[in-house]
Amino acid sequence: MGFGHRTEGGYAVVELRGDVDLARSPEARALILQFLEQRSDLLVDLSEVAYIDSSGVASLVEGYQVAKKEGLKFGLIGVSEAALSVLRLARLDQVFPIHSDLDARIADDG
Amino acid sequence: MAEARLMWVEQLGRRTLGLVAEAGYLSALLAESLYWLFVGSFQRQPVRVSAVFSEMMRAGVNAIPIVFLLSFSIGIMLAIQGIHTLRTFGAESQVVIGIALSITREFGPLITGIVVAGRTGSALAARIGTMVVSEEIDALRVMGIQPVRYLVSPVLLAMLVMLPALTVMADFAGLLGGAVYSALDLGISYGAYADRVISVLKTGDVLQGLTKSCVFATIVTLVGVANGFSVSGGAEGVGRATTRSVVLAISGIVIADMVFTWFLNR
Amino acid sequence: MVTPDAQESDIAGRAEAVVEVQDLVAHYGRHKVLDGVNLSVEAGEIHIIMGGSGSGKSTLLRHLLGLRRVSSGRIRLLGQELEGIHRQALQELRKQIGVSFQGGALLSSMTVGENVTLPLREHTRLDESTMAIMARMKLEVVNLGGFEHFMPSQLSGGMTKRAALARAIVMDPKLLFFDEPSAGLDPVVSAELDELILRLREAMHMSIVVVTHELESAFRIADRITVLDSGRILISDTVEKVKSSPNPRVQDLLNRRPRVEELDADAYLARLTGE
Repeated sequence: MGFGHRTEGGYAVVELRGDVDLARSPEARALILQFLEQRSDLLVDLSEVAYIDSSGVASLVEGYQVAKKEGLKFGLIGVSEAALSVLRLARLDQVFPIHSDLDARIADDG
Repeated sequence: MAEARLMWVEQLGRRTLGLVAEAGYLSALLAESLYWLFVGSFQRQPVRVSAVFSEMMRAGVNAIPIVFLLSFSIGIMLAIQGIHTLRTFGAESQVVIGIALSITREFGPLITGIVVAGRTGSALAARIGTMVVSEEIDALRVMGIQPVRYLVSPVLLAMLVMLPALTVMADFAGLLGGAVYSALDLGISYGAYADRVISVLKTGDVLQGLTKSCVFATIVTLVGVANGFSVSGGAEGVGRATTRSVVLAISGIVIADMVFTWFLNR
Repeated sequence: MVTPDAQESDIAGRAEAVVEVQDLVAHYGRHKVLDGVNLSVEAGEIHIIMGGSGSGKSTLLRHLLGLRRVSSGRIRLLGQELEGIHRQALQELRKQIGVSFQGGALLSSMTVGENVTLPLREHTRLDESTMAIMARMKLEVVNLGGFEHFMPSQLSGGMTKRAALARAIVMDPKLLFFDEPSAGLDPVVSAELDELILRLREAMHMSIVVVTHELESAFRIADRITVLDSGRILISDTVEKVKSSPNPRVQDLLNRRPRVEELDADAYLARLTGE
C-alpha cells in the first residue's frame, strides 16, 4: 500500500497508510520533505496508519523542524490511539500540532 | 613409577589436544575474519572502513618512531659485528652484502613484527578482553553484530597493510644504520654504500621479508584477539591474557620466521 | 481507533507465546545449572525471572539470548526455534529483540549517542538525520536528553542502565530482556526504571522479561513471576499466586530467610576432612 497525497484547504496532505516502519519510513520522509521543498503548508494524515514505529515518528519530527525553519505550517491529523501512545512516550504529543481532521485544523487556523 | 609415567603421558596428551584445539580455533578465526573482509559487503554487512583507518593509525603510524629507532640500531650492530668478523679475513668492505641481505630478509620484518606484537598484540588482547568482561562482546552478539566482523576484520586488514609498510621503513632504517657505521669505521661514502646495496639486493630478498611480515601480521592479530576472547575472571584475567598474547605472538613470530627461512632458502 | 487488522494480529500474538522454554538442561562443565526448566512468556506480558545468586537465572538468560548452547531442551523466541537456527535467521530474530545488560555493556570507545545509534547504523539504511532523531528520542524516553556526547565512563550507574535501555529499544523490539535493572541502584532510581518499563510496555506493546533478585521491583511491575532455585523452577505464576504460595522455599525467598539444609553428619565430616 503506497502513500498518497492530496491538496485540500490550502494544505498539501500526505496520507500515510499501513505500516510506517523501518522499511517504509524513508519513503514517508522523502514525501514529506518533497512537499516542504515546494514550500507548501503540510499536514500528515495518519488515519490509515496501522502501525508507526520510531523511524516513522522521527521522519515526522524532521519534517516539522524543516517546516518551522522555512516558516511553513505543519501538523498531524487523524492520529490513532496507537500512534498517539508512541508519540506520548517521547512527549511528542505536546510538540506536534495535532487535530482530528483537516476541518478541525482549518477551524483552528482561524 | 608406572603411574607417574602414565600421568606424564596423559598430560602430554592433554597438552597436545589443547594445542590442536587452539590451532583449530585460530584457523577458524582467520577464516571468519577473511570471510567478512571479502564477503561482508555483499551481504550488506561490510567491514567498517573508519575502523580500518583508525587501526592503521594506532597499529602502524604510531609505531614508526620505535620501529625506526630499533631497526637503525640493529643496522649499526650488524655493521659492527660484520666488520669485526670480516676483518679476520681482511674482507671488511664486503660487510655491505651481509647488512643488505640480513636486514631485508630477516631483521627488518622480525624487528617490526616483535615491536608490533608488543604494542598492538597486547593492546588487542587487553581491549577485547575488557570487552568480554564488561559483556560488550555479548551485547554486540545479541544486537546481531558479529564480533569478528566488527572488531577483528578491520584490525587484520590494517595490520596486513601496515606491517609490510613498516617493514619497508625498517629496511631503510636498518640499511641507514649500517651506512652510518660503515662510513665512520671504513670510510665508505653513502653513495658507494647505496650503489653496493642496490647491486646486491634482488627483488626477491625484499619480497621474502614482506611475505614474512604479512605472516607476522596475521599471527599478532590472531593471537591477540584469541587471547582477548578467551578472557575469564575479570581484570586479572585481562592482565594474564595480555601477557600471554605478547609471549605467544613473539614466539609464534620467531618460530614462523625460522620455518619460513628454512623453506625459502632450500 | 484500532483497525481490524491490528486486532487480528493482536489475537494471534496472544495465542503464541513470545518465549517458550521446554525441559531446558544446562551444564557448566560437569555441574548441572539448569535442570528441566519450562517457561512461557506471553505477548505483552512483563515476566520476572527471580532467584538468588546461583539459582541459575543468569544462565537461563544467557540461553534465552542464544549466547549458550543447551545440553538438552528447546527454546523458542517469537516462534523461532533457537537450536540449529541459520545464522541469517538468527540475525533477523535479533533485530526484533532488545537486551539491556546488567552493567550496561555500552561500547566504551563510543559516545552514548553512537552507542544508541549503533543497531540502526548496522541494520538499517535510514537517513543519518532519521537515525540521529531516533537515538535522541530514545534518550529522551529514558530521561537522558542532552547526554548523547558523553562517554559511557562519564555516566553514573543509573544513567548507564538507562542509556543501555535506550540502545536496547532503539529498533522498537517486540521483546525486551532486562538483566538486573535495579542492581546497585538506590531505591529512587530503581523505582524510576520500573516506571519506565511499565511505560514502554504500554506505549510500544513490548513483551518484557526482567531478571532480578529485587522483590519490591518484581512485585511492582510483574504480570507473572517465575522463581528459580538451584536450577529448577519453584513456581511460575501471577504475583498474587506467588505471594500466597504454600511452597516453603518460595516463602523463604520472599521473606529472605537463608536456606537451612538438613545436616548429614557423615557427609559433613567427610567434606571437612576432604575425603
